Amino acid sequence: MPRRQAPHPAEDPSAVLSELPRGSAGDLRLVTAMSTTIRFANGRIHQPHLERSTHVSLRLADGRRLATATGSDASLAGLRNLAGTARALARIAPVERSFPGFVSPTGKGPGRLAFSKTTAELSPEGVTELAEQILEAAASDAPGARVAGVVHVGNEELRVVNSCGLDRSTRQSVAYASVLAQRPDQDPPVAGWSEAAHWDADRLGPARLGREAADRIARSTPQSVEPGTYPVVLRGPAVADLLRFLAHLGFSANGEIEGWSCLRRSRGKKVAPATVTLTDDPVSRETIPQAIDYEGTWTAPTPLIEDGVARHAVTDLLTSGRLKRPLTGHAQPPEAPWGDYGPAPSHLLLDPGDASEDELIRETRHGLLVTRFHYVRIVDPGRGIITGMTRDGTYAIENGEVARPVRNLRFTESVLTALHGIALLGKDRRIYYEGGGAVTAPAVAVGAFRFTSATLF
Amino acid sequence: MEELIRTALATVDAPDVLHADVRVVAHDRFVQLAVRNGAASALTDARTEALGVRVRTDRAWGFATTCDLRPGPVREVARLAVRLARAATRHTRERLRVTDDPAPKGGRYMTSLRRDPFSMPLEPVIELLIAAEKGVHVARSVKSGLASFAAWEENKWYGSSEGASYTSRIVHVGAGVSATAVRGASVQRRSSPASFGGDFAQAGFEFVEGLDLAGHAAQVGREAVALLDAPACPTGTTTLVLGSSQLALQVHESVGHAVELDRMFGSEAGFAGTSWVAPDKIGVLRYGSDLMNVVADATEPGGLGTFGWDDEGVAAHRTPIVHKGTLVGTLSSRESAAQLGLRRSGGTARASGGDRAPLVRMTNINLEPGDLSLDELLEGVHDGVFLDTNRSWSIDDRRLNFQFGTEFGRRIVHGELGELLRNPIYSGMTPSFWASMDAVGDPSTRHLWGLPNCGKGQPGQLARVSHGAPIARFRDIAVRGG
Repeated sequence: MPRRQAPHPAEDPSAVLSELPRGSAGDLRLVTAMSTTIRFANGRIHQPHLERSTHVSLRLADGRRLATATGSDASLAGLRNLAGTARALARIAPVERSFPGFVSPTGKGPGRLAFSKTTAELSPEGVTELAEQILEAAASDAPGARVAGVVHVGNEELRVVNSCGLDRSTRQSVAYASVLAQRPDQDPPVAGWSEAAHWDADRLGPARLGREAADRIARSTPQSVEPGTYPVVLRGPAVADLLRFLAHLGFSANGEIEGWSCLRRSRGKKVAPATVTLTDDPVSRETIPQAIDYEGTWTAPTPLIEDGVARHAVTDLLTSGRLKRPLTGHAQPPEAPWGDYGPAPSHLLLDPGDASEDELIRETRHGLLVTRFHYVRIVDPGRGIITGMTRDGTYAIENGEVARPVRNLRFTESVLTALHGIALLGKDRRIYYEGGGAVTAPAVAVGAFRFTSATLF
Repeated sequence: MEELIRTALATVDAPDVLHADVRVVAHDRFVQLAVRNGAASALTDARTEALGVRVRTDRAWGFATTCDLRPGPVREVARLAVRLARAATRHTRERLRVTDDPAPKGGRYMTSLRRDPFSMPLEPVIELLIAAEKGVHVARSVKSGLASFAAWEENKWYGSSEGASYTSRIVHVGAGVSATAVRGASVQRRSSPASFGGDFAQAGFEFVEGLDLAGHAAQVGREAVALLDAPACPTGTTTLVLGSSQLALQVHESVGHAVELDRMFGSEAGFAGTSWVAPDKIGVLRYGSDLMNVVADATEPGGLGTFGWDDEGVAAHRTPIVHKGTLVGTLSSRESAAQLGLRRSGGTARASGGDRAPLVRMTNINLEPGDLSLDELLEGVHDGVFLDTNRSWSIDDRRLNFQFGTEFGRRIVHGELGELLRNPIYSGMTPSFWASMDAVGDPSTRHLWGLPNCGKGQPGQLARVSHGAPIARFRDIAVRGG
C-alpha cells in the first residue's frame, strides 16, 4: 500500500491556484469541522456520533467555462488532484457569459464575530452530559414520558482563497438541542416539544429545554377539529419553517431569473404589516454567525422585508452577473446538487414584537396554537403555496386561553398570505438551527391560516 | 484498507467492547453534470474518503469517523468511538441486544455494468445534456430548462470484531430533463422520465443512453407550456389512476418509511417521526386491499437498494412486507430485529458513507404487479383522473395523512384518457387509501424507479433506494386543483 500523505490542510492552499495555466483562475473552499451528536430516544442515548471532517472544493474558471471538483484531501497533493479534475471538467463546460470573475479581496470585513472556544472544544463526554441533563429534567417533570431528541455541539472553519488574492476565513461554534416528551400509550398520543440553538453551549439551557418539553405535554386527550381557516399562534419552530420557505421562494436570485419567485412582482411593495422586519444577518450575535459566504464575500446585514416592504433577492457571483445586481454575499457551496438552490438567505432574523406567548393567545381569542410543522414542501412556487403537517403539540384556543389539545392538521397555505396576516409578534425569540443555517424568530399570531385536512392523531 | 481496519479493531479491543465494526469507503465518488438555460449549473466531481468505527458495549453504541486515513488518526478516532460508547453506557441501564447473523468471510459484491461512467470521457455526457436542455425551449414561456446527470461510485471495505469482512464496488447512475414554463404567477414544470433529477439505477452509462433525454425534450417543453392553459384539476372524490413513477413515491412515503422497525420502536420519534404501525401488529394488520403485495428486495438487479451485504455485514434479503393486504414483515437492523424478538436481521441497515453509522433504511421496496394492462385498467373508469410525475409530497410523522401534487393530470372519461389538467393534488390516509386499490397494472406497466435522496438521521444521511411500481387504480380519492 502506498504511503499516504497527510490530508491536513496545506499551509498555503493558494499555491495550487498560482499553478493554474494562463487563462485559468479559481476559488477554493476549505471546510474543517468537528462535532459530536448525541441522539436519544425512549429515554436512553442510542446514537452517539463523533465526526472529524475536511471538505475542500475547487471551482475553476477556464476562461468563462466553470467546473468544480471536491474532495476530503486538503494537502497540496490533494488540491493538485482537484485542480486537474476541475480543469478536465471545465474543458467540456458550456460558456458562462455572465460570470463576472472571482471575488475581489477589497473591502472590510465584519470584524470579530461571536464564537465560543469552550463550545468548539467540548469533549464527547461533555456533550453526552448535556443530553443527560435533558433526559433527567424531562423525566423529572413528566415521569414515565417517552423522551427523544438530540444534542449537537461542534465547530466549523471555512476558509476561501481565490486567484484574485483573496484569503478569508470564518469560524463557527454551534450548540443545538431538541427534545420531544411524549405519552405514546395515550390514544392519540400527546407530546411536548422544545428546541434551541446558540453559538455558546453554556447558553443552551438543556435542563430548561427538557422541562419545557415535559411541561408542554397536554393533560387531556386531543380532540378532532374540522379543517378550515383559523387564526393561529405559531410558536418559534413553526415560524422558522415558514421563514425558511419564504427565503427560498421569495429571496433567491434563481427564482427571480427563472420567474418562479413568489415575490418577483412585489419588490418595493407592502407584503406584510409595518411591524414585520426580516433581515438576513450572518454577523449578528443572535444567530450562528458566519463572516464570509462560500465565495469569500464578506457577509453583512441584508434587509429582506423592511417595515412590511419586500426588498430584493439575494445574490452570489453568477446571479449578480446575470441580474446585473450587487453581490450580496449569499453564495452556497458551488457543488450543491443540481445548482438548484442558488444563493439563499440562511441567517434570518425576524424582529420581535412586545407580546408574551400568553398575550398572543389572549389576543387571538379563538383559533389554534401550533408548536411546529412537519414535512413542509412546496406546492406552487409562483404563489408561494406550501403544505405540511402540524406536530408535537397543537391546541385549540378558546376565549383567549389554551383550551385543549387537538389532533394534527395539514396546512396548505401561501407564505405570502401568512406573512400578510401577521397580527402580533412575540417578544422572546430563539435561534432555530438546521443544516448550517439559522432562523432567529419569535412566536407570531396570524389572522387567518388555512388547514386543508386532518390526521388521526 | 484491510490493514487500517485491523488497526482500528485492535485499538478498540477492550473487555467492555462486545462488538466493533469498521467501514472504509474510499473513494466515495459523485459526479454531477447539470445544464441549466445553456449554462453549467453544476459540473462537479466529488471524491471523499472516510473511515467509520462503531463499537458496542453491553448497553450502548459509539460511532466516530475521520477522513484522515492514516494509522495515527484512525487509532485516535477508534479511541473516541470507545469513549463515546462508555459515556453513553454510564447513562443507560437497559441492556442492548442484537441478532446473531451469519457473517460474510471475504466476499465481494460488484455492480454489473456495460459502460462504466467513471472510466469514460464526459464530453458525450455534457453534449447529451446540452442537446436535451436546448430541446425543451419550444416557446418563450419556457423560462428554464434543466438537464442533469449523476453518477456515484462507492468502494467499500468492511470488517468486524467477529471476523466478518467483505468489499464492494457499487455504481449508480441517473439523468433527467425538465422544463419550467411561467406566465404571471403560474409556474408549470414537466420532467422526463421523472421529476427531481430523473430516473436512477444501479447500472452503467447504458442506462442513461436508454433514457433518450434529447428525444423527449421537445415534448417536455410542449407539455409545460400546455399546462399554463390547462384547466385546474377538478375538486371532488373520484377514481384515481396513478402512473408508475408517482406510485413509486406513494410506496416510498406511505409504506417504506412506515415499516422501518426503528421508527415503529420510537428511535426516530424526535426527528423523522414514528409509525402508525405498531410492532405487535405484524402478521395481523390490514395494510391495504387483497391486491396489495409489497416486498423489500435488496437482490433485484438494477436497484439502488441492491447490495451484497448491508452495513452490518448481513447478506441481502428479499423480504415480504405486505402479502395480500396484510402486513407480514418490516425493514430491520440487528438491534431493531432483536428488539422485536427476531433471530435474524432483515439486512437493511445502511449508511450513506463511511462517515455515518448505519440506520434502518429502505432497499428496493416494490409493489408487485397485478394482471391488468393499462387499457383494461382504464376501462373500469367511467369518470376519474390519471395523475403522474411528482411535484410535491408531504406526509405526517406517523405516515398516515399524505398529500401529493403531481406535474400533470389527465381526465379519464369512459375509459379514455382525456384533457390535460394542471396543479392536481390528491390526498388521503394510508390504510384507507391502500384499501381502496381495486386494480393493479400488469408487469408491462411496471418500472423500477430510483430515488437518490431519501433523508433520515442526525447528522443527516441521504440514501439511494428504488421502488418497483406498476400503475394502479384507487376508488373514492379526494383530488383537487392546487
